[in-house]
Amino acid sequence: MKEKQQVLKVGIIANPVSARDIRRIISHAGNLPINDRANIVLRILTGLYLTGVEEVLVMPEVGGIRAQLLRTIERETKMGKFRFPKVTYLNMPVTGKAEDSIEAARQMHDQGVGAIVVLGGDGTSRVVVSACGNTPIAGVSTGTNNAFPELREPTVTGLAVGLAVTGQVPNEYAYSFNKRIEVLVNDKREIALVDVAVVAERYIGARAIWKTENFRDLFVTFGRPDGIGMSSIVGLLAPLDRETAEGRRVKLVPLGEAKVILDAPIAPGLIESVGIGAVETLKPNQHYLPSVSVGSFALDGERELTFSEIDDVSIRLQTDAFRTINVPDCMAYAAKFRLLTSKANNRLAQLSKKGRTS
Amino acid sequence: MSNPFPLEKNKLLEAYSRMKTIREFEERLHVDFGRGDIPGFVHLYAGEEASGVGIMMHLEDHDRIASTHRGHGHCIAKGVDVKKMMAEIYGKSTGSCAGKGGSMHIADLSKGMMGANGILGAGAPLICGAALAAQKLGHDGVGVTFFGDGASNQGTVLESMNLAAIWNLPVLFIVENNGYAEATSVDYAVASDSFVDRAAGFGMPGITVDGTDFFAVYEAAGEIIKRAREGAGPTLMECKMVRFFGHFEGDAQTYRAPNENEDNRANRDCLKIFRAKVIEAGVLSEAELNTIDDEVMALIEDAVEEAKAAPLPLAEELTNDVYVSY
Amino acid sequence: MARTLSMKDAVNEAIDQEMGRDPTVIMMGEDIVGGAGADGEDDAWGGVLGVTKGLFAKYPNQMIDTPLSESAYIGSAIGAATCGLRPIAELMFVDFLGVCLDQVFNQAAKFRYMFGGKAETPVVIRAMCGAGFRAAAQHSQMLTPIVTHIPGLKVVCPSNAYDTKGLMIQAIRDNDPVIFLEHKNLYASECDVPEEPYAIPFGEANIAREGKDVTIVTYGLMVQKSLEAADMLKKDDIDVEVIDLRTLSPIDMDTVIESVEETGRLVCVDEANPRCSIATDVSACVARDAFKALKSPIEMVTPPHTPVPFSPSLEDLYIPSADRIADAVRKTMEA
Repeated sequence: MKEKQQVLKVGIIANPVSARDIRRIISHAGNLPINDRANIVLRILTGLYLTGVEEVLVMPEVGGIRAQLLRTIERETKMGKFRFPKVTYLNMPVTGKAEDSIEAARQMHDQGVGAIVVLGGDGTSRVVVSACGNTPIAGVSTGTNNAFPELREPTVTGLAVGLAVTGQVPNEYAYSFNKRIEVLVNDKREIALVDVAVVAERYIGARAIWKTENFRDLFVTFGRPDGIGMSSIVGLLAPLDRETAEGRRVKLVPLGEAKVILDAPIAPGLIESVGIGAVETLKPNQHYLPSVSVGSFALDGERELTFSEIDDVSIRLQTDAFRTINVPDCMAYAAKFRLLTSKANNRLAQLSKKGRTS
Repeated sequence: MSNPFPLEKNKLLEAYSRMKTIREFEERLHVDFGRGDIPGFVHLYAGEEASGVGIMMHLEDHDRIASTHRGHGHCIAKGVDVKKMMAEIYGKSTGSCAGKGGSMHIADLSKGMMGANGILGAGAPLICGAALAAQKLGHDGVGVTFFGDGASNQGTVLESMNLAAIWNLPVLFIVENNGYAEATSVDYAVASDSFVDRAAGFGMPGITVDGTDFFAVYEAAGEIIKRAREGAGPTLMECKMVRFFGHFEGDAQTYRAPNENEDNRANRDCLKIFRAKVIEAGVLSEAELNTIDDEVMALIEDAVEEAKAAPLPLAEELTNDVYVSY
Repeated sequence: MARTLSMKDAVNEAIDQEMGRDPTVIMMGEDIVGGAGADGEDDAWGGVLGVTKGLFAKYPNQMIDTPLSESAYIGSAIGAATCGLRPIAELMFVDFLGVCLDQVFNQAAKFRYMFGGKAETPVVIRAMCGAGFRAAAQHSQMLTPIVTHIPGLKVVCPSNAYDTKGLMIQAIRDNDPVIFLEHKNLYASECDVPEEPYAIPFGEANIAREGKDVTIVTYGLMVQKSLEAADMLKKDDIDVEVIDLRTLSPIDMDTVIESVEETGRLVCVDEANPRCSIATDVSACVARDAFKALKSPIEMVTPPHTPVPFSPSLEDLYIPSADRIADAVRKTMEA
């Protein structure tokens, strides 16, 4: 095993408020019960533990994940099964909103975690990236729009994250660099990891976006043909992967005025018709403007910023903006270099030692 | 600047006026109850206004609501006469229920208000009945049952969710989660820790909204009410909110964290949040909102004076109206 | 035109005729139709004892099967009653009243009063009552005192098919909540029942048998037992008057008092348990209002203060028999 920077702490953010919004009503989006979320966290913990991560910092919440988690850890510890690292809850107030994810990300970065595992969809991942500085993240898909986090077994994500932060996999395999979009309205700055939709209404309301007749622009960092969410509009017109150093912009027009109409799966179970205007490529670090002078920005599916004629507005694609754990490459490296194998005597000694400490 | 909200200016004023009326009604009761003027028990809704009003702005008289013991806010939001409510709380014959019901049983069926209820969770089956009646009688009325995080554990609520789901009834189950059932925290009492998960367990969709933001409640409620009218069946909506006062007046609230009430008043006051949004958007001015404040204060003052001056029920009222005919 | 009809069929006919007349009369209950969601026949049961069989075929929009949730569906019937429907809700056995008691006694019973006279709750809650089927403790009670006690409820318990049809039609047309109790052991009993609809007013007792020596006041299955006792006592030259209360709330105390003032002797026969029962209620009122007329202490014939036993020999001891009633009558004659 290579002895690189041994960072033995990882953060986990599982916000119970994700996948609870109005899109449960508009589409057939699931809500992933609290029980299941707690089990996902436990699965990640088993992967982290096996790879030598010693402590996990977790965002506190009162939505029930913590209760379930601690109950299970306590029970299994009493039964002598040691499969989890030490779990420490951050000391922070709980508002029960997305703001908690932001505060947790900030604290985890400040405490030097090697990576943050984020349970959620595009929205949750976005707010974490906006606050975690240069700490890499690993997304586990549990939200509504899951264009950004990949659908993958959390146990394996845990293994990969552990291998990466403990230095067992070299950085060039362990991490990917990702694009993002930065939106500025005067001095307010927000980012999006996948898509920015410009909506012709200046109203935030219940945040989540679904009324396609009001969409005027779509800016994406990537759009896969087999993706879900707004970025599928790009994916089905002019696909773009996560690696290429460019973005896409689609101008959208009301159905009555469009020459071309695209049917796209913009949310789970929701395939909507959108009127297509122009499609263009975004170059990194150039400033773009929305095609309406009054409206709001929905970032990764949720309305966040409004603007009008008197505001200074700018949209910019950034490349290499933040890192994610490259789970497939980590695991491929682990297989190639037999990272999870060890001499039988050593391993058996380790295992029986664990048994004796029960 | 144009109006970015989905409500016209006059409707925004109406929403504010309803919320402010509830707030001042409850604040006044808090004072008068403390002085010993009011008989019995009162349970105040102050702090929760955005939930009731955000939903009720979408309802008509043929839509029915059932409320809880903490019912003044729902009554006012649904259009029950404020002066008659005050008289009822004072036990006077001019009250909404002729002095026979009191704070916990205020009702006005002509406004679709099926009563505040002293039995928690009891409204849920009744509202299923109202929704069934709407279906059978062929109109698009919906039923809205309000209950708290505490009452969400009552068998009646859970049974009603199942019934509404299998019969596809136009019912909204509104969980007004203010974090406490009397003195017990929701963290202790609600096992699944998620009302939305419970709804999913009963085969109906559920959502959570910030109950301190009128606009978030208004938009979400509008969508689910529209769908219920169109035949999409029941939905559960959890409104996360705070209550400013105790469970009942007289509750010392020692179960709260230090400074919790001050923090709520400063940072989670739905009226302040509403004011800030409409003023920042340039749609309403401080002056316009202050005018409403003054009107509301005057209304409450009149209501109290009239209630205090009104007569108590006569002795023969004791045995009236047990039956339609006996 | 009269023809013979069983009590069970009388219930069915009353509901049939009212549903036909008024589409706001709906019915709900567990398996009142039967077969919901299953692949076999519709109307598979028509009620656990077939009382409502055939109604679904005639009124498919007015007959609704419910899940096993008394609080929810009894409460729904009550809520719907305040919103323009006239629901009949079946509680399969009155013993299940505990499951939904709040909706009945705190909601339905109190709306009109609590809301200052502005609510009307025209709901009928019909349920089977009574012992003798070997159905054991939780399926054999009367519970008449519990519902009679509650202001705001009306309580009906007929003893024969003729009264059943007339009182059921009255109950459906009544604008107050009515608890309609059908004794399961009377379902098969038959008598002449007119074909056309008719309503019997509440609060009017029926003198089932006239007599001058002793007054028996009773209701439900006990009317039949009292009449049997009366026949036995004829041989001893004791002439018994049997008053069938028919409705327990409102109760026709006038007829009772009038009779006691004639006979001077009272026996109350009640299948409900003896503490705080209809028997004690009537006895106390008569003792207060007709004391001077009484020639001997009032007698009560009731089951013991026990749950209903299962074993047939015990259940037969539990239920007041014609013999025990006759003995009580004789006792009033001796004193």
